[in-house]
Amino acid sequence: MGDLLSLFINSVFIGNILLAYFLGICSFIAVSKTIETATGLGLAVIFVLTVTSPVNWLIYHGLLAPGALAWAGFPELDLSFLKFITFIAVIAAMVQAVEMVIDRYSPLLYATLGVFLPLIAVNCAILGTSLFIVERNHTFIESVVFGAGSGTGWMLAIVSLAAIRKKVRYADVPKGLDGFGFIMIIAGLMAMTFMMFSGITL
Amino acid sequence: MQNDLSHYKEILVKGIWRENPVAYQVLGICSALAVTVKMSTALVMSIALTLVAGFSGLIISSLRHLIPSNIRIIVELTVIASLVIITDQILQAYLYDISKQLSIFVGLIITNCIILGRAEAFALANNPADSFVDGIANGLGYSMILVAVAFLRELLGSGQFFGFSVIPQFVYDMGFQDMGIMVLAPGAFFVIGLLVWLKNSLPGISHEKK
Amino acid sequence: MSDKKKSNRSFKDSRVYVVFFALTVALVFSVLITSAATMLKPLHQQNRILDKKTNLLEAANLLPENEKMTPEKIQAIYDTHIREVHADPRGQILRSATGDSLQLYLIHTDQQVQGYIVPISTRGLWGKIHGYLAFEADGETVAGFSVYSHSETPGLGGEIESQWFQDNFKGKKILNAHNQLVSVSIAKGRTENLPESLQDHYVDGISGATLTGRYLSEGLEETLMQYEPVSIIFRQKKGTQTQLETLLDE
Repeated sequence: MGDLLSLFINSVFIGNILLAYFLGICSFIAVSKTIETATGLGLAVIFVLTVTSPVNWLIYHGLLAPGALAWAGFPELDLSFLKFITFIAVIAAMVQAVEMVIDRYSPLLYATLGVFLPLIAVNCAILGTSLFIVERNHTFIESVVFGAGSGTGWMLAIVSLAAIRKKVRYADVPKGLDGFGFIMIIAGLMAMTFMMFSGITL
Repeated sequence: MQNDLSHYKEILVKGIWRENPVAYQVLGICSALAVTVKMSTALVMSIALTLVAGFSGLIISSLRHLIPSNIRIIVELTVIASLVIITDQILQAYLYDISKQLSIFVGLIITNCIILGRAEAFALANNPADSFVDGIANGLGYSMILVAVAFLRELLGSGQFFGFSVIPQFVYDMGFQDMGIMVLAPGAFFVIGLLVWLKNSLPGISHEKK
Repeated sequence: MSDKKKSNRSFKDSRVYVVFFALTVALVFSVLITSAATMLKPLHQQNRILDKKTNLLEAANLLPENEKMTPEKIQAIYDTHIREVHADPRGQILRSATGDSLQLYLIHTDQQVQGYIVPISTRGLWGKIHGYLAFEADGETVAGFSVYSHSETPGLGGEIESQWFQDNFKGKKILNAHNQLVSVSIAKGRTENLPESLQDHYVDGISGATLTGRYLSEGLEETLMQYEPVSIIFRQKKGTQTQLETLLDE
């Protein structure tokens, strides 16, 4: 239990998927203009990550990993090279499915998250998390925790950025640094802040 | 088919400098920054991405009259993902050390917005040769930023260039220290922010709008 | 992923064609990537084995510095200096594996045993850390340490693969003044701040990577306890040179 908690905290702060591994920067910049949209996208990312991470874990360990097809009589088969294409397909399909389910059963939730879901299919934070889970050899439970933790970290980062951008809207930034460059500097400062958590031990 | 050289030059210049993907289009820096701690990884990543961008442009453009429009994006993703898998396999076979360091970031070329973006915006509307050049140009433009960031981070962060120490000892004797922050994630953000500032101040680029 | 553009105007958008096209694309590309993967697989495996051998040699300090290493050279050094063996739970060195034996590597020069290397496999902050810890023939002095696979944070825990960190292990002792196993651990911060008596058993820590250090320390201790019978055998021979073949035949 302690290990899982520590994995969660680590993936939210020290190993923040956005600020330490640079995943999902596209939408981090594009969708952080207001806090409301940032929150919506953040929630959608948490949701999709928590769902796709374990699904991709099951697919990898049930079909693709070396020796995973032993039950079907192919103990020698190693399909792990197919992981990129499988994961991206699973993510696209899952996002579509989630979109349809939400649309059908919860119009309210759909109104909040709906517009963001298609954006997420090509968000590299999602694919990156699934690939990290394979690379780091997480167990099934760990993959759920890591997926949820990464999503939470991502949301925390984008909502904070949106809040900061609101604060500095009328700041007098030198011409040329204005816009993209300035956001990068802010992100750098945020990354430093998040890294300070690396001193804590649980 | 236009064989006019200046025509290709035009596409190249546009992709590499005038509409440089990282600073201007604000696309595709996703996976870029994680591999910029060292020149060697950044360079290999750049070559891999440039080739994938070029060939995906070539293949998608060749198929542009055949692809049914309602499965267009999934076909594009299939082409890109397959090229990335092949690239990854080749890296693992011939550049094992570097591929180990690039870890998951080769795979993330798939979700790099530049490649899908160019496929959508250019390859579907132009002939294969033009699309190939366009892909390469955009890849090179991206590579330029990536290598520049890596150069600064490796030089300031570890005092090295391609793994060789280049900062002379007397500089250290005078009290200079390697900047630890450059090796860490925040360093990448700062460097890219300052590079964009520099680039926006140089002539030949339309100033980026907010 | 759906795209409701234009219309279903032509044959190109008819259902039969879409299915046919999708299947063809899937077939062509799966053939392409599968053949690439199959063709390159032997090379991947070769690389993986070579990488491990390089790391074994690095732990044993057998890699010449400032020299470009080719796979052939590495293989040659490996063949002349390293012998993969196994040890039973009592620490006896065996030529081949048995049910409960441990894997280890002997370092030898001209058939004289110079030391041994134990494989390290421990959890890190994110994933497994794999590496090697080499000992001199006295069974208590660390000869070197190397890491061939980890997934720690670059710049923080990732520093475990850097030269300065690994070099710090050289010459550390795993026994205290009373000849008890104390393992070798990663300090929190610099070892200079530790009491004199502990300095031989600690290496400098990595700032910002307390957890990686802690997990690695735990893993090293666990591994060393497992391999203690082997180390005892080596300690008993202290001072005397041992022939490789005699050790194997005992």
